[in-house]
Amino acid sequence: MLTLQSVFIESPNGVLIDALSETVNQGECLVLMGPSGIGKSSLLGYVSGTLPKALTGRGEVWLQNSRIDHLSAEQRHLGLLQQSPLLFPHMTVEENLLFALDQKVAKTERRQIVKAKLNDIGLPGYGHRLPQELSGGQQARLALLRTLLSNPRALLLDEPFSKLDQTLRQEMRSLVDQCIKEANIPAILVTHDVDDANALGNRIIELKSDF
Amino acid sequence: MGHRANQWLYWVIIGGLCLPLLLGLLGVLLPSFGIDPALGSSQFSLVHWHELLNQPEFWSGLKLSVFTGLLATLLSYWFASSLVVCTYQTRWFQRLQSTITPILAIPHAAITIGALFVLSPSGWLVRMISPWLTQFDRPPNWLTVQDPEGITLIIALVIKETPYLVFAMAAALSQLQPNKTLLTTRLLGYDPITAWHFTLLPQLFKLVRLPVFMVLAFNLTVVDVATIIGPNTPSTLAVTLLRWFNDPSLSLRGQASAAAMILAFSVAVCIAIWLLSARCCGLLRKRLSLLGQRRSSLRWATLAGMLGALVILSLTILALFVLPLWAFTRRWRFPDNWPSSFTLDNVFRAGQNLIELSTQSFSLGFCCSIISLGLALVLLECERLRPKQKLAVIIVFSAILLPQITLLFGIQVGLLYLDWNGTWWSVLGLHTLYTLPYVYLTLKAPYLAFDQGYLEQANRLRTTPVRNFWQVKLALLKAPIGAALAIGFSVSMAQYLPTLIAGEGRINTLTTEAVARASSGNRKWVSVLALAQAILPLLCFYMATLLPRYWTLWRLTLKRALC
Repeated sequence: MLTLQSVFIESPNGVLIDALSETVNQGECLVLMGPSGIGKSSLLGYVSGTLPKALTGRGEVWLQNSRIDHLSAEQRHLGLLQQSPLLFPHMTVEENLLFALDQKVAKTERRQIVKAKLNDIGLPGYGHRLPQELSGGQQARLALLRTLLSNPRALLLDEPFSKLDQTLRQEMRSLVDQCIKEANIPAILVTHDVDDANALGNRIIELKSDF
Repeated sequence: MGHRANQWLYWVIIGGLCLPLLLGLLGVLLPSFGIDPALGSSQFSLVHWHELLNQPEFWSGLKLSVFTGLLATLLSYWFASSLVVCTYQTRWFQRLQSTITPILAIPHAAITIGALFVLSPSGWLVRMISPWLTQFDRPPNWLTVQDPEGITLIIALVIKETPYLVFAMAAALSQLQPNKTLLTTRLLGYDPITAWHFTLLPQLFKLVRLPVFMVLAFNLTVVDVATIIGPNTPSTLAVTLLRWFNDPSLSLRGQASAAAMILAFSVAVCIAIWLLSARCCGLLRKRLSLLGQRRSSLRWATLAGMLGALVILSLTILALFVLPLWAFTRRWRFPDNWPSSFTLDNVFRAGQNLIELSTQSFSLGFCCSIISLGLALVLLECERLRPKQKLAVIIVFSAILLPQITLLFGIQVGLLYLDWNGTWWSVLGLHTLYTLPYVYLTLKAPYLAFDQGYLEQANRLRTTPVRNFWQVKLALLKAPIGAALAIGFSVSMAQYLPTLIAGEGRINTLTTEAVARASSGNRKWVSVLALAQAILPLLCFYMATLLPRYWTLWRLTLKRALC
C-alpha cells in the first residue's frame, strides 16, 4: 500500500501539486492525468526521491507501514519507468538485467532467472546483444523487466509508452498490467493519454492547473 | 560517496591547492621586501627593488619577454583563426583536428628541440637548400636560432600554440551555430570569409578568451622553450630569473623575488593590453560591418594568416620528423639532405640511462594523472550538487595563469623549510598541482553534462551507490576520463621547472635531461631523449582514445569467446 499524505510541490513560479492525498493498494494502479507542465512527473520525482533541485516538495509518503519521504532515493526500493528506457549502453541486455537482479539471489541461479525472464517477455536469445541494437519496443519491454527484477515495492510509470507506436503501446499496456498484478505492488501511472489511463487505471485522477 | 564526506574532501582539496599558491606568492613577496627567513633577514627594505630597477639585464629581459609573448600570442591567434575560417566547412576541418590533437599531447620541449634541429644554421632547412642554392658546404655563421630579437623563440611558441588554439576554437564553435549563421549571412550576400569576420569571429573571440590568456601567460613566462631556442644575451626575463635564483651567492635572491613579482604583474598587464586592443579592433570591425560591404578587405588578412599557418604546420611536421631521423642516424654530414646511414646504436648506447629516465617520467606521469583524476572527480561531484560553487575554477585558473617560476620559487622556500626538497614525493606534489587544472578542465563539461538519470535508475535498481557510481557513471564516462588521464599524463611529462625545483637535480626526467642537453651539440642523444619524450604521451593518448571506444566491444568478444 502506497500512501501520499498532503503532498505539495512548488516551483519558483507557483504551486504545482496542492495537498494531494491518495492511497494505492497492492496490485492497484492509480492514474494521474493532466496537461504537461502541471507537475505530474515532479510528483513521481518527489515520491522516488529524485525531485529536480529547482523544485521543493513537502508531505508524507508511506509505503506499507513505513515513511519513506526522508529516505535517499536508493533506500526507497521504488521502480521508476520513464519515457526513455535508460538501458546502460555499455552493458549487454543480460548484464543490464543482472545489474538489477537482487543481490540475494544466488550466483548460480542468476543467469537462469534472467534467461527465463527474457523468454517470458519474448526476447529469448537476446542476452548478449547491446541494448542499442534492439528496437524501441524491445527496449521498452526490457526496461520494464529490468525494473521488476530489482523487486520494487511500488512501481512508478512516467509516460512510459509515449515513444511507442499504437500497436506496441497496446502490447506494453497489457504487459505492464499483468506485471503489476503478478508482482502485486501498488503502481502510479502518469500520462496524458486517455487510452493508457482507461486500460490500466483502477482509479483516474485529473490534475488541473491552478494558475 | 556520502555528500558530507564529499563536501569535506572538497574543502581539503581546495585548501591543498590554495596552500601552495599562497605559499608561492608569499615566498617571493616577502623576500622582495628584504624579509627572508632563509637568509636570516627580517628588516623591511626596498633595496632589492632599487637593485632590480638599476639592473639593465632586467629591463632588456622584460622587454624581450613582453615582445615575444605578445607577438607569439597574436600570431598564434591569427594563424589559428585563419585556419578555422578557411577549413571549417570543408572536409579538411575534420582532418585538421585529427592531426593536431596528437600534436597537443607531445611535450613542448620535444617539439622545440625538433624545431631547433630544423631551423639552426646547420639544421634541416639549410641542408635542404645546400649546396645547390646556397653554395654552402659548411654551416653558415648565422644566428638563426637564439637570435637576440627572439624571432626563433616566437616561431617555436607559435608552433606550440597554434594547434592548441585551433583545438580550443573548434570546441568553442560547437557552442555556436556556425552553419546556420554562415548560411544566413551568405544569403544576405556576404562572401564566406567576410561573413566569418562580421558574425562568427567576434563571438568566437569571447568564447576562447580564457584559452588565449593561458597561451599569453605561457608565452610570457615559459622557461624551457626559451632556454632551448631563445636568446641568451640577454635572455627572456623568466630565464634570467632562473639564473638569478640559482646563483650560488644567494645575494641575487632578493632582486630575483622582486623580478618574479613583476613577471606575474606583467602577465596581468599583457592581458589588459590584449583586451584593450581587441576592444579597439572590435569597434573598428563593427563600423566596417555596418557599412554593408559584402566583400571586405579583411579577407586578405585571413588568407595571409592561412599562408602563415601552413608554414607553421609544415615546420611542426618537419620538427617532428627530424627527431627520429637524428635518433637513428649513424652519419649525417652537413649539406646532405638525409643521413647517409641509419643505426640503432644511439638508442642502445642510451640504454640504461634512457630506461631510468623514461621510468621516472612514466611513473610520475602515471601517478600524477591518476591522483589528479580522483581529485577532479571529487571537485566536480561537489560542483554538480552546488552549481554556484565557483571556487575551484578560480583556483585552477590562478594555478595556470600565475607564472610557474614565480610560484615555484616561493614554494621552494617552503619545501626547504620542511626539508622536503629533493624528494620524489615533492616532485609528484608539484606535478599534481599543474596536472590537476588540466584534468579538471577536460573532464568538467562531459561530467556535468552526464545524464544523471542513468545513475538514478541504477540506484533504484540496486542499493549499492558506490558500486553503481563506478559501474554506471564512470563506466559511461570512460571516454572523457581517458582523455583527461592522457592530458594529465602529457602535462606531467612536459613539466620542466617543477621537476627541476622540487627535485633539485636528484630527480631527473626525460624533460629535464633533454632541456639540459639540448644545446650540448650531441644531437643524436638529445633526439633519442626528445623522441622518447614524444612517444610516451602519444602512446598514452592513443590508448586513451582507443581503449574507451572499443572497451565494450572487446570485453564482449572476450566474454563470448570464453562462454
